[in-house]
Amino acid sequence: MKKTYIIAIIVIAIAFGVILASLSNNSTYASFKEASAHENSTFHVVGKLDRAKPFLYDPHINPNLFTFYLIDKDGTERKVTLGRPKPDDFEHSDQIVVIGKAQGTDEFAANDVLMKCPSKYNDGTPTEKKSSSL
Amino acid sequence: MDNITYIGEHIWWGKAGNFFIFLSFASALLAAFAYFRAASENELENGSWKKLGRICFRIHSLSVISIMATLFCMIFLHYYEYYYVWEHSNSVMPKRYTLACFWEGQEGSFLLWTFWQVVIGNILIRTAQKWESPVMATISLVQVFLASMLLGFYVFGWRLGSNPFILLRQTPEYANIPVFSIPDYVSKLDGRGLNPLLQNYWMTIHPPTLFLGFASTVVPFAYAIAGLWKKEYGGWQLDALPWTFFGIMILGTGILMGGAWAYEALSFGGFWGWDPVENASLIPWLTYVGAGHVMIIYKARKNSLFSTFAFPIITFILVLYSTFLTRSGILGNTSVHAFTDLGMSGQLLIYLLFFIALSVVLLLVNWRKMPKVKEEEDLWSREFWMFLGSLVLLMSCLQIIITTSIPVTNKLFNLNQAPPLDMKGYYNKWQIPFAIIILLLVAIGLYFKFKKTDMKQFWQQIRIPVVVSVLLGAISGWVLRERNGFYIGLLSVAWLAVCANFYYWVKNKKSNFLKAGASFAHVGFGFIIMGALISTSQKQVISVNTSGKSVESLGKDYSNATNILLTQGDTLRMGNYFVTYLGKEQIGVNIFYSVEYMSKNEQTNKYTHEFTLHPIVQLNQQMGNVAEPSTKHFLTEDIYTHITFSDLQNLQDENPGSEFTAPKSQMLSVGDTMFSSNSIIVLTALDTKIDKIQYHLKANDIAVGAILKVIDVNDKVYTAEPVYVISNDVVQSVDVGLKPLGLKFSFRKVNPDTKKVEIAVSESKHTAKDFIVMEAVVFPYINILWMGCLIMVLGTTLAIRQRIIKSREAKNASSAQ
Repeated sequence: MKKTYIIAIIVIAIAFGVILASLSNNSTYASFKEASAHENSTFHVVGKLDRAKPFLYDPHINPNLFTFYLIDKDGTERKVTLGRPKPDDFEHSDQIVVIGKAQGTDEFAANDVLMKCPSKYNDGTPTEKKSSSL
Repeated sequence: MDNITYIGEHIWWGKAGNFFIFLSFASALLAAFAYFRAASENELENGSWKKLGRICFRIHSLSVISIMATLFCMIFLHYYEYYYVWEHSNSVMPKRYTLACFWEGQEGSFLLWTFWQVVIGNILIRTAQKWESPVMATISLVQVFLASMLLGFYVFGWRLGSNPFILLRQTPEYANIPVFSIPDYVSKLDGRGLNPLLQNYWMTIHPPTLFLGFASTVVPFAYAIAGLWKKEYGGWQLDALPWTFFGIMILGTGILMGGAWAYEALSFGGFWGWDPVENASLIPWLTYVGAGHVMIIYKARKNSLFSTFAFPIITFILVLYSTFLTRSGILGNTSVHAFTDLGMSGQLLIYLLFFIALSVVLLLVNWRKMPKVKEEEDLWSREFWMFLGSLVLLMSCLQIIITTSIPVTNKLFNLNQAPPLDMKGYYNKWQIPFAIIILLLVAIGLYFKFKKTDMKQFWQQIRIPVVVSVLLGAISGWVLRERNGFYIGLLSVAWLAVCANFYYWVKNKKSNFLKAGASFAHVGFGFIIMGALISTSQKQVISVNTSGKSVESLGKDYSNATNILLTQGDTLRMGNYFVTYLGKEQIGVNIFYSVEYMSKNEQTNKYTHEFTLHPIVQLNQQMGNVAEPSTKHFLTEDIYTHITFSDLQNLQDENPGSEFTAPKSQMLSVGDTMFSSNSIIVLTALDTKIDKIQYHLKANDIAVGAILKVIDVNDKVYTAEPVYVISNDVVQSVDVGLKPLGLKFSFRKVNPDTKKVEIAVSESKHTAKDFIVMEAVVFPYINILWMGCLIMVLGTTLAIRQRIIKSREAKNASSAQ
């Protein structure tokens, strides 16, 4: 058999392996309820901030703990603890993705948070010039 | 609002801009058609079509330059009545960022891309000779598509492109705001400004480099299409080779600039984060490198002919795919810095599918007709191993594409996959094996000869670099105090790539600098991987809690507790340093923090100043605050410092002279909740049985207590009871403090109708001492990475030079015959 065919077969085999392995990466988007059902697995949960609830961060007690409340797409609200300082501009973000594990049914411990701030890219209405810059 | 006559709008600028946009589109279309005819007809008759094609492409070039000049002037002159100008610039911003504003938006970056293709096209008109017509036909066609991205026309209710010359008052979002009821609103407008993240010199140099790299992929693509179309399968590779290596060099530089930018000025904490946007630029580069190498194989041995078509085509299509990924908004939740959707995803998708279809059809039609080499390549030949390397690059690229495309596959197949949790770890795990194979191939590749290698000689030559690199691997493992054998092996392989190529240059090219191209490029690649390996795996977070202070009931164990609180004046140990926060200073929109690094003499207990870093937090009310790190560079390590949280309220003291902040009050019923910055406060009950003696009250005084349950961040519960007193018709509150949380409560009012009470809470400025929360990371030997980049760019440049000389020689030789 020609060497090129052997290479082709090996390459196709590796390609399949790569595709299958990549597709079976074990993370999925989930709701808080699903996350609570599988406490040992890590999930991405997409949700909106509950602005009526507080964002708690006291660096004097623990600089690596920030707590807030998130409502997921099913409407379930959960307290989320993030093992990091409060991100800049957290209040302005619209949609938030938290990545972590559920701790029982009342808390979600996040390792990471992704914020999509509409404000950062296309918000802000035209403002009048400040008098100083006229 | 139609009846208002606006004063001061610079209408003619926009009209001129739109005219040039239309002209650029029409002339590109005509150029494509003329060149198509010129290429289709036989050589004698094609003269006039070719002439027309050239004229049209020149008109197109002029109009693209005019669009850019118009838009640039509008930004420079602050014509905020135009949406693009308003969106991307403002008056306070320094003028040197005008260019950055220009290409911050999608429209501007498309213009940049178009512009580079215009430049490339004009060079090709002069140099491509017999390939001019078919190559320029393809390039003009790509220009038609790019120009249409700016049209902004509605075709059957479907918007084609996004126009940069639209007026702010014509945009649907802002058309109805009150400012536009003033006839001279123009004089009152200020722009929204450039995202502060992008206000640095990187934004001026990174996009043009990257887009030149992207634009250059059209050349080998157009040559490949021309070869298929004209059924001249060989020959074009020689002309396309210098372009390909030029593109590899420029695109590589652009990508690495992005990495350097991320490392220097953005708070990613590293030079490469495997973010989808970063991946999108890397994907085409990998196949581009493959394209360059298969072309060399073809040039030397007439082998791998099909691949010389496939690789450039894949590369160009991947550039289009990357454009689609980053600009369609499909990355959504997975990327922090993709462009927002401008409603052009459909259009982008059509272009992508059009070029895929065109290429696949041409490849299939020609597949059988391509001449096949009868004799099979030898196992011990350079072409075999080079081809293998190109395939490995393709595999590595495939893995990155699949994972980056998860949002696309989710949409296509209605799945619910999330990107990997630990993005960096996931990609590193996958890409390290590919990197090892590539490094090995890079190391041995040049020692093989085309056609057949004398293996005895091969082993004799490679023996020396192998021994040296195993030694160097062991030494560097020892210096880094690394015990992991796999890791030391990896280092040795990287050393092998460096040593083998260097030795090859010394031995076989007699240290001739001008012939160092391939060797240096490979040495540089070896160093890049080595630097990346060492600085990522040996990176050390030094901002961990070493104070010995009891961190009150943390309860939860977070592995990534990498941030530390530093109070002004306090000194904490971090790694080998002792670090003090000196204070902050606001200059314009930037707050500069001074963080001093010192060393300590253990005998005398005296601190010696080492260096001071000035990380920045940039205030921007419209776009949010941005933290910019500060890094101390040493030859062998970098110390990276970055503010992750700081109290910005004490920049303006609302309640000077008091120990507490201005109170915030709220009306509460029993059971209601209010918040302070560090706790939840619940009104649990009203207490009417106040012990009057304790509060020194008279018998007929009225007193009510509010029993408050205060829950802190760690769920610890405290109680506080402020009391409301009416004594001789005078209302007063007996305030209570809650020391552990630094809170003070007053009971201000009772509303008997609604049964609500007013509770006010003020917070202690326990920030009498200012503080920061910061992260400090040591990146060892990251300079190896930057050095590798420079060597690789140098090597590739030398290779391009060599290719141009060789292709000229070949042409002279053939014309002399």
